[in-house]
Amino acid sequence: MSATSENSDTPLVDDLRAVLGRDRVTVSGTERRLYRTDAAHQRGDTPAVVCFPSTTEEVRSVVLVCRKHGRPFVPRGSGTGLAGGAVPVGSPVVIVTTRMNRVVDVDLEERVAWVQPGVLNLDLTNLVRPLGFHFAPDPSSQQACTIGGNVATNSGGPHCLRYGVTSAHVVGLEVVLPDGEVVELGGPEAEPACFDLRGAFIGSEGTMGITTQVAVRLTPNPPAVMTLLLAFDDLDAAAGCVSGIIASGIIPAALEMMDGEMVSAVEDFVGAGYPRDATAVLLVEVEGLPGGVADEAERVSGVGYSFGARSVRIAEDEAERNLLWKGRKTAFGAVARIMPDYYLHDTVVPRSRLVDVLRKVREIARRHRLLVFNVFHAGDGNLHPLLVFDAREAGVAERVHAAGGEIVEVSLAAGGVLSGEHGIGLEKREYMAQMFTQDDLDAQAAVRMAFDPAGLANPGKVLPAGSRCGELGDLPAGAWI
Amino acid sequence: MNLGIDEDELASCVNCGLCLPHCPTFRVTGAEPLSPRGRISAMRGVQVDGEVVDGAFVEVIETCVQCLGCETACPSGVPFGALMGATRASLASKRRSGHQSRLTRAALGLLGAHGAVLAGARALALGQRLRVVPRRVPLPLLPLRQERLRSTGSDVWLFTGCVMDAVQRDIHQASIRVLDRMGLGVSLPGNEASCCGALSEHAGLTDQARRMASGVMKAMPGESPIVVNSAGCGAALKNYGQLLATGEAERFSARVHDICEFLAQRKTALPPPSSARRTTVAVQDPCHLRHVQKLHESVRAVLQPYARLIELDDEGLCCGAGGSFSILHADLAVAVRELKLRAIERSGAALVVSANPGCSLFLQAAGVDVVHPVQLIDWAISGGPDGR
Repeated sequence: MSATSENSDTPLVDDLRAVLGRDRVTVSGTERRLYRTDAAHQRGDTPAVVCFPSTTEEVRSVVLVCRKHGRPFVPRGSGTGLAGGAVPVGSPVVIVTTRMNRVVDVDLEERVAWVQPGVLNLDLTNLVRPLGFHFAPDPSSQQACTIGGNVATNSGGPHCLRYGVTSAHVVGLEVVLPDGEVVELGGPEAEPACFDLRGAFIGSEGTMGITTQVAVRLTPNPPAVMTLLLAFDDLDAAAGCVSGIIASGIIPAALEMMDGEMVSAVEDFVGAGYPRDATAVLLVEVEGLPGGVADEAERVSGVGYSFGARSVRIAEDEAERNLLWKGRKTAFGAVARIMPDYYLHDTVVPRSRLVDVLRKVREIARRHRLLVFNVFHAGDGNLHPLLVFDAREAGVAERVHAAGGEIVEVSLAAGGVLSGEHGIGLEKREYMAQMFTQDDLDAQAAVRMAFDPAGLANPGKVLPAGSRCGELGDLPAGAWI
Repeated sequence: MNLGIDEDELASCVNCGLCLPHCPTFRVTGAEPLSPRGRISAMRGVQVDGEVVDGAFVEVIETCVQCLGCETACPSGVPFGALMGATRASLASKRRSGHQSRLTRAALGLLGAHGAVLAGARALALGQRLRVVPRRVPLPLLPLRQERLRSTGSDVWLFTGCVMDAVQRDIHQASIRVLDRMGLGVSLPGNEASCCGALSEHAGLTDQARRMASGVMKAMPGESPIVVNSAGCGAALKNYGQLLATGEAERFSARVHDICEFLAQRKTALPPPSSARRTTVAVQDPCHLRHVQKLHESVRAVLQPYARLIELDDEGLCCGAGGSFSILHADLAVAVRELKLRAIERSGAALVVSANPGCSLFLQAAGVDVVHPVQLIDWAISGGPDGR
């Protein structure tokens, strides 16, 4: 089948159209090609068909059609993933959940909302905020990413330092398993019966089935919030301060770090008054009861000064706070003002090793003649080094890839892990063997096989090639940017 | 095919997807091809990877409302409007001889002939009363008769435009009255300055847009400021410098002000409201004011003394009108408008202000009570009309 023309796989297309009608089954080559990528840098293959179910029953029927034709399927939300989890390998059916965007029920007494997977993360928070609640996981892509995608990658976000990542905020799931069975995992009851398969499913990146409804926990809005911006002239001092704050007994709601290069890029977009001449800044948010918050803010700034902060600014009002956060949350995109491409890692290292690992990351970038920008969840040691480059430059992709590999190596050597919140997807699966023994990988493959014995659910993702029967081979040719 | 897009501009999108929720057509379809990121990716396919320009590609490009909400949202500073403009111009010149293209050119060309616009509006107004205009035509009930506009001096020009002069002349009357109360006499350009050319430019008909721009410039000579009470036209007039690339056009564009911008700069000269009562209104931000001219705050600044303002909770998402978009892509436009109607409903306001004729007509067609900010000021100063 040619990727440039209309799909001529008539039996498959006919069956999908019988379920969804013509409008919600995309066959045009021009349109299908736009689904080769998500927000990561791998370009995959052109999917055979792209379809848009809007109910659980339709998802089930689409999955059954895929099964009948022996076709793999790839679930996709907004396509903001940073590890290529929604990038097609082979010629799969892409199942897009954006039309499943209804908030089904909000139960304020139980503090639970049932939502369809295509509801956008920030839309849910905006909906319940006037009622005094929010959805705590707040990844940088919060305004665009879907809750189904948050479940698939077990997303984090700045405020997960205090509140925990997505798995701590999902009490139950309705999923369509790869054989078409619809099951509920977990549930609003405090202690559901049987195994906690909810925990196994969250973060499975579409390899165990498709989420069709999510029961999320609603978190009460804090009575008072204060946001502090600490500026440093020394990167090591800023990184040291991170551990210092936690060691002083304070768990801030968020504790973020940006290096000077990143600060300048961000400031160009938001104009929030970030100090362009700082070598590093910490963005610290404390929240709780008003008295306690004021006290914590004072202690944080005290720790800051003791680590050599040259200034501590406290956001005056909500508008200023929002602007500071807007800067933080649009940081990845803002680097495009310097170079058009970036490659991003997501390793987590022990907080106490931050100073050391950051230094090594900069050294790796320097050696490979690459620019590196650091913006990350410092409080939980979740690094996001961005290697920025122009993919049109000959040979640069190889250098970026090599540098990325070394960053993973130093992170793992420091006792870290591969991914804090973006997932493994297509992009990081080749590093899995560095992190896990063959026994570990076999065990993970066995769990996955239990859910998906036919290997149709998002094949080629998470586990390295060859880690199970019928596994697809290498990355598609030319995938690397 | 080379779409004539600057290569660095085309490369500047990093695929992050933060534009998606700010794109009206993505909001209603959830489809990547109908999102800014998808559209850029399709442009790259054609210009960089040599993909063919097929019907699907044309659809991807033509279904863009050109609201530029994506530009405001983009942390990377991708100049989406420039990418879309170049692509449309390339498509238009490629299909110059096509039937559809000739029809579009002829229809938009008519906007430059003001007599025809006035006659057409009158025919539509009459047809509405005779119930021969199909309901799906996205227009509210049009006025049968329009009071003549009279020049009051020569301190400022008021750009009167095409459709607006034909069906919303009451907004021009209110503008003249408010400017008059501030001691500013208003000159009118007459029929020479009919259409600003924005719709032609959005359709990629650059030559037609340039001809109209020259006509507009000729009709408003001198040094006086040019006041525009249509956000879309104001954005177009301010862009003449770039469109015509002459010093004369640049000087002309520098004289152009949106009326809210103009009044906000002279707030102290605005008369106080005649009574203490404040009308409650929801503010609808026209995309050409918020995302293009970036002047939406001036609407709030000038209205503050006269009304109790309510913000919509949709972060300036487009209403779906989009110039000729609501006619050419009626289904999509109506779906987008539905989102706006729900936002207005959530706001609880019974009255909406909008500083752009396209938006107000399209919302009025759905039964929303919409006025221009300058009308609200006019009423607040003079104490009428009742019930507002």
